[in-house]
Amino acid sequence: MNQYAIELSQVTKRFGQQVAVDGLDLRVPVGSIYGFIGPNGSGKTTTLRMILRIYQPDSGTVTVLGGSRGAAADDRLGYLPEERGLYKRMRVGALLNYYARLKGHYDSREYIRQWLNRLGAADWENRRIDTLSKGMAQKVQFIAAIAARPQLVILDEPFTGLDPVNMESLRDAVLHLREEGSTIIFSTHDMDMAEQLCDTIFMIYRGKKVLDGTLDSIQGRYVANRVRVRFADPETRLPEIPEIASVEMANRGFLVTLDGGTDLTRVIQKLAQQGELHHFELIRPSLHEIFVRIARPTSGELDAGLPEEALA
Amino acid sequence: MRKILTIAAREYRAMVGTKAFLISVTMMPVLMFGGVAAMELLKNVAEIKHQTIVVIDQSGRLFEPLRMAADSRNRFLDQSAKPPSAAERESPETDSGDNRDDDFNGFSQAERYLLERWEGDVINDVERWKLSERIRKGEVYAFVEIPPDVLDARLPTTPAEAAGLPRVRFYAEDSGFSEARTWLIAVINELVKVMRLEAAGIEVEKVQRASLPVGIRGLGLLERNSSGEIRPATEKNELIAIIVPLAVMMLMFMVIFMASQPMLESVLEEKSNRIAEVLLGSASPWQLMTGKLLGTVGGSMTILMIYLVGGWLVASYRGWTQYIPLDLVPWFLVFQVFGVLFFASIFMAVGASVTQLKEAQSMLMPVWLVMMSPMFVWLAIIRDPNGTLATWFSFFPPATPTMMPLRMSTDATIPTIQPIAGLIVLIAATVACVYIAARIFRVGLLWQGKTPRLGELLKWAFRG
Repeated sequence: MNQYAIELSQVTKRFGQQVAVDGLDLRVPVGSIYGFIGPNGSGKTTTLRMILRIYQPDSGTVTVLGGSRGAAADDRLGYLPEERGLYKRMRVGALLNYYARLKGHYDSREYIRQWLNRLGAADWENRRIDTLSKGMAQKVQFIAAIAARPQLVILDEPFTGLDPVNMESLRDAVLHLREEGSTIIFSTHDMDMAEQLCDTIFMIYRGKKVLDGTLDSIQGRYVANRVRVRFADPETRLPEIPEIASVEMANRGFLVTLDGGTDLTRVIQKLAQQGELHHFELIRPSLHEIFVRIARPTSGELDAGLPEEALA
Repeated sequence: MRKILTIAAREYRAMVGTKAFLISVTMMPVLMFGGVAAMELLKNVAEIKHQTIVVIDQSGRLFEPLRMAADSRNRFLDQSAKPPSAAERESPETDSGDNRDDDFNGFSQAERYLLERWEGDVINDVERWKLSERIRKGEVYAFVEIPPDVLDARLPTTPAEAAGLPRVRFYAEDSGFSEARTWLIAVINELVKVMRLEAAGIEVEKVQRASLPVGIRGLGLLERNSSGEIRPATEKNELIAIIVPLAVMMLMFMVIFMASQPMLESVLEEKSNRIAEVLLGSASPWQLMTGKLLGTVGGSMTILMIYLVGGWLVASYRGWTQYIPLDLVPWFLVFQVFGVLFFASIFMAVGASVTQLKEAQSMLMPVWLVMMSPMFVWLAIIRDPNGTLATWFSFFPPATPTMMPLRMSTDATIPTIQPIAGLIVLIAATVACVYIAARIFRVGLLWQGKTPRLGELLKWAFRG
């Protein structure tokens, strides 16, 4: 079997004049948890729909679980759409069995029951969907996506609207799925969740790929421009040098933001001249910061030449 | 195939297994045939009203015979109010055609008239006002003034003389359309005629014999069955001749309506709740649509069966089964299936192209008009089922499913080739309609923006 669950090569999708996805390349290894991040309207859902073959790309190839052709729905895929996706007037048990049957699994009662138990929803089977709270419905939707034991699970914003407890249980469920051998792709706005869960993170912005790799490798590619500084003598002041862009007071020390392209050695020398350095720490940018740095629509600098300018 | 059946089964259950379905199945006939049904019910429930009529008989000769006529009318009504025995029902020969209509008119429910002689001396406006007050208080229903010269018989020669002829005056709150007024004047005229004949020395019986009316019976055509036996013609009742085709058309229309509306709602729900994405990840648009249509046809057949069985039970209870055109049932089913497919696929395409029920309604306006069009012309069509309008209209595909059975359920002989040709036209139109709907459905389901205009819809349909 192919080592990649999904391979996209030079995929482009247009809607009228608008290019939703532009020359996208992507490889998702089998058995991995892959996180899709990106601002609203950047092409995440379109990409997911192309993987599901709901949309056909205008150019390029989409290979999913070894197959690259056809509009037909694939029974090996499970999908959780962003919000809703449930018949309001059906009962939980009937709905979940219906979704499983649609994928060719005609006897999933037991499997569905196990998952209801796992997510603390054992006695919901006879409840109507429209009597469920948002968090409950989200769990039901998650089970709907995996009721047919898919090899590849695609979750569009599975964590929106969940309280921390439900979020935990859903996160555990995703990890459990991976242990069972599924490949999981999910899109999210929750950067903490992406950092915690994902083996690999993929960011799409304005239809183009801007990040793709492990968290380490992504953070490694961004210059750390923040340092934590503490002097032995709390009275010691920072030197007045042009490299320091801004300063915050933090925990008896300073949180210093440096200008891009600063020579760190020179900064350390200058600091050491002020007094005895007790603590000097380079802070790696969080995924959240990286996201904001890429996607913040500031002056011309970002618009001009993404992603090269954002990467240092 | 199994996926299609899975989808169909869900669709069927969503349509049939709801309280709303039960309610609408019961409400629809109530709304459409409610008037007739209510009258039938009232016949057995409502108490009989007695109307007191004060008679001011200035001729002094008419009151007694009038009262006798009212009494005998009351007695006749009391007898016919009792349900007819089974023997009476099965031998229409013993009844005249007029009496059979009584069942439909609720005639035996009519008011009974109690006549009261006015005992005053001279009638003037004060007395008339007093009587009016009694009517307003509800003690009396009406009062009637018979002029003294009512028995005079002179033929008017000028319009002025004609205007000056004696007239009976009838006073009541609803004198304009009072049945008592109609009855009174008929009886008074009959009495006056007899009295004038007697006064002229003419033998009344001779006149009555001479003016005995000749009746007429409407009959259908004679038929010969396969063994060569000629079946006698059945008596035709004008009311039955209208009610049967009307019921056939209404039933078909109801079933189409009750099948199409849930289709619209289910597609809209799938679209607005993004269920469509999940479904399209599991089944192709073609499978999805076929399953939905199949489920809807199944649901509509369930409704049809409920009504057919219900209708049959009512008919056999009332002894009307001979009026049900059983030989048409297969045609009826086929036209019904394609009618449902035709309209359900249109409703499905509309459901897929909009995001709100409101938009769907405005988009469906023309569809509704076309769907209802048989309702505007049905009477003209059953009057002349082989006329140009009827023939051409029944080949207009949206009207074919209701019009062809409507024509066939009349007594006229429709050339056999016509229903067959109509069916072929309808099937072709349904296939085209479903094909176009499928293409709109496929694009529309994932369309979340503004409602597309007609041009865009056509683009979806023909370019995909």
